[in-house]
This record gives sequence, structure tokens and C-alpha cells, in this order.
Amino acid sequence: MNFKGSILIVDDEPHIRKFVALIVRTLGITAVTEAADGEDAIARFAADHPDVVLLDVNMPRIDGLETLRRIKEVDPDAVVIMLTSLANRASVDRALDLGAANYIRKDTPKEEIIRSLAETIDAAFGPGDNQT
Amino acid sequence: MDQLRTTPCGLSGCKILVVDDDRLNIRILAGILQREGYVVAEADSGERALECYAGLNPNLVLLDVMLPGIDGFETCRRLKQTYGDKSAPVIFITAKNDSDDVVAGLGAGGVDYLPKPFNPKEVVARIRSHLQNQLLVAEQQRLVEQLSRANAAKNRFLGMAAHDLRNPLASIRGLAEFLRDGTVGPLNSEQLELVATIHDASQSMLVVVNDLLDVATIEAGELKLSLGSVDLPDLVGKSVALINIEAAKKNTHVVMEAKAPASPLAIDAAKMRQVIDNLLSNAVKYSPPGSRVTVILTRDAERHEIGLSVRDQGPGIPAGERDRLFKDFGRLSVQPTGGEKSTGLGLAICRKIVEAHGGKISAENLQDRGCEFRVTLPESK
Repeated sequence: MNFKGSILIVDDEPHIRKFVALIVRTLGITAVTEAADGEDAIARFAADHPDVVLLDVNMPRIDGLETLRRIKEVDPDAVVIMLTSLANRASVDRALDLGAANYIRKDTPKEEIIRSLAETIDAAFGPGDNQT
Repeated sequence: MDQLRTTPCGLSGCKILVVDDDRLNIRILAGILQREGYVVAEADSGERALECYAGLNPNLVLLDVMLPGIDGFETCRRLKQTYGDKSAPVIFITAKNDSDDVVAGLGAGGVDYLPKPFNPKEVVARIRSHLQNQLLVAEQQRLVEQLSRANAAKNRFLGMAAHDLRNPLASIRGLAEFLRDGTVGPLNSEQLELVATIHDASQSMLVVVNDLLDVATIEAGELKLSLGSVDLPDLVGKSVALINIEAAKKNTHVVMEAKAPASPLAIDAAKMRQVIDNLLSNAVKYSPPGSRVTVILTRDAERHEIGLSVRDQGPGIPAGERDRLFKDFGRLSVQPTGGEKSTGLGLAICRKIVEAHGGKISAENLQDRGCEFRVTLPESK
């Protein structure tokens, strides 16, 4: 993977943001911002235009699916990857319908999360493509 | 002497609907019943009785067989149809001790009959016993409902608690891995040991929490299978390869002996994988180091069944503990041989998953040592 773009991590739980930030660091991505809820995420997306959004599903007020919908409204090509602890079929289907690039369970071993994340980013940007 | 014959506690005030077109009969019965402290309502036909029942909700119905319009049997059938199990017990009144009438009446849903002319003592005794019965049944129904509500609340709580614990635990485990891997800088050996302890403890807690969450989901009736065409030997093969990494630490080998001809099964791959993983990890867990665990896949063409057997070389199932095996928290007296953990939920979850697939799971001790766990699954047509 040779992705050098920027990533926005959205999760209401600080320990998960920390964990996901380390995963992203393992992939050699350094341009990382964080948001603690859906509203914050939508505002940051509009302001910074990150290349990839890692989005939690269960969040208070505006949940991940609604956040995804609004981000796609702003930019239909946005690469949004859902990160969740609860993979129920209905929300997986809904997220994919709304245009999520992938759906990753965050309670899987970290090697697996790293692998699926790298695969999804490669699929979206191409393995050799250098984003800036 | 009448005032000494008190109504048993709780029965006074019970409502009794007396249905008879003979006003004299009603007057006699009302006299007997009112003396006992019962509240009496009357109706002179089956149709009236049905109307009256709806408003009164009586505890018992005394119903004459011969009535103008619909007869007593039909009235009783309609009551049972409308109110089902909740309908009050019906006692038929028959002019003579006609055994055909009695049989027909009991067939229509009556609980008893009273022959005319009435013997007051008999009337009082029979009615009292049926009322007591009915109160007990109602009390029992109330308790069962209360218990199932409490059980549902327990499952919701279990699910919520497990779910809320899972995220932080997964983070603790993940962050410990990052420390261990040196992602955030090198650690000395003592620090590494502490981090490994944090990692292992959070890992085993995560297993417990996931088991609890599974039980809560299954008990709440939310176990949903997503069936797909699955190659079982392939699924088992993957599981065997993975468990051998764990088993190697105990110098134990898991081998797949016979492979039934692969016929794709309609099963939930992830859930069935959970069952296979559980059986294999149990076999390794309870066998002494250096053991051999054998996995056998068979196909019974006659019964259209696929069988999966896992044979271990452990101590077997202690006599008298077999019925605990597949129950929630049914841990046995046997101990894992390598200090592994057990929640006592794994096999209960396996049973529920296998049964949801229309299959069966059982366990038998083998002749020399060890035991065999066997799962049979119906072949898809």
C-alpha cells in the first residue's frame, strides 16, 4: 500500500479513536484527524475533505448511517469505511446501499482490521497511487 | 350450624354464573351458593349466558344441558372458542345421571357435572374444589408470565452489559498489542511481560463477554441464521488448521481422518464454524499434552444426514454429569489440562446453534479413554 492521503476517524469512544489511530499509523498514514460524533464528523468533512473516513455506527444523536448519508450528499465519491462492533445484517446492508466502501468489525484481531483497511484503500485509490 | 360452615379463604366473593331455563332450579342453586358467600348471576338461555359472561367474567359457570335455543354443550364450546384457556370452568347440570350426557359434556369442555335433584353438600363441595383449582391455575399462569418477563429482562441486561463491555475490552486488547509490537517504541522485558498479561487477561474476558452476548441473543430468540451453500469438509479443514497452532503448544495434534464426499449443505457458515471451533478447542483443552484429537466426517445416505465427530483423549464425561453438559454454565468437574479458561457456555451455545439448523449434538464416552462429541445435520434436499 502506498496511500499518502488523509484520514478522518469518527468514534464517540476515545479509547477506540486511540486504537484506530494506531492502526492507521501502522499503515504509514500520518494525516489523521478525529471527530467524536456525527455532527462534528460532517463539519470536519466539509472543512478538510479527508480522502478516507473511518466511521463508527453506534453513536449518540446522529448515528453512523445518517452521518454516512450526509457525507455522501456533500461528496458522492467520498470513501467511507464503517467500523463497528455490532455487525447486524440490516445495518451492513443499509451502509453498503448508502455507498460505504466496506464494513469492518472492530472487535476482530488488529491484523485483520489492518489487512481489510489496506485492501479497501488500495481498491479505492490503487496500490501505487500517491495521494497528496 | 350454617354459620360454622365458612367459605375457605379467598373463595368468598367468587362470581358464579348459573344458566338454567327452570327458574326454580336457579332459585335453589342461588340459595345454596349465596349462603357460601358467592356472588350469583343468572341466565335463562345459552345466548344470554354468552352475553352475560362477557360482562361478568365469572370464576365458574353452572350450565344446564337442555336449554331453549343453543343447548348447554354448544354454549360451552362457544365459551371455550372465545376465551380459550382463560375461560372459567364449566360444570354441567343434568336432569338424570345420564352417562352419555356426562361424556358429551366433558367432550365439549366441561370439567364436571351435577345431577338433579341437587344435594346441597355435594354442590358446595364440588364447586369449592373447582374454584380452588381455577385459582391455582390462574396463580400459576401469573407466575409463569412473571418469570418469563424476568427472564427477558435478564437477557436484555446481559446483552446490554456484554455489549457495553465488549468495546472497551477490545480496545484494551488492541492497545496492549500495539505496545507489545513496539509500534509506539521499544519495551524492556519486564514491561513486555506486564503488557502480555494485560493482553491475555483482556483476551479471555473478551471470550467470556462474547459467550454471554451469544447466550443473551439466542435466549431472546434473536438467533438468526443466514444460510448459504457451504462445503463442510472445507469449513472443518480451516478450523483444524487454526486449532493446530494452539494445540502445538501442548504437543497435541488434531487430525481429520475421514472426509465424507463433499455435498454442499445449507448452513450458516460463521455460526457452524463457531460450533466446530468450540468442539475442537474443548477436545484440545481437556486432553493431556501429547494427545491426538480425531475429526471424522460421515454421511448417512439413508437418513440424509451429515455427521461430524470429534474424538479426544481426555478423561471423558464423569458419570452423572452428562445432563449438565449442554446446559448454560454447565461446567463439569473435569479441568482443562493446560490451565485454559472455560465459561461453561460454549456447549450450550453449540447446542442452540445446531438445533437451529435442525440438527442434533450428543456426547459419548469412548471405550478406552476420551469421549466423542457428535453433531448431525440434515442434508438439504
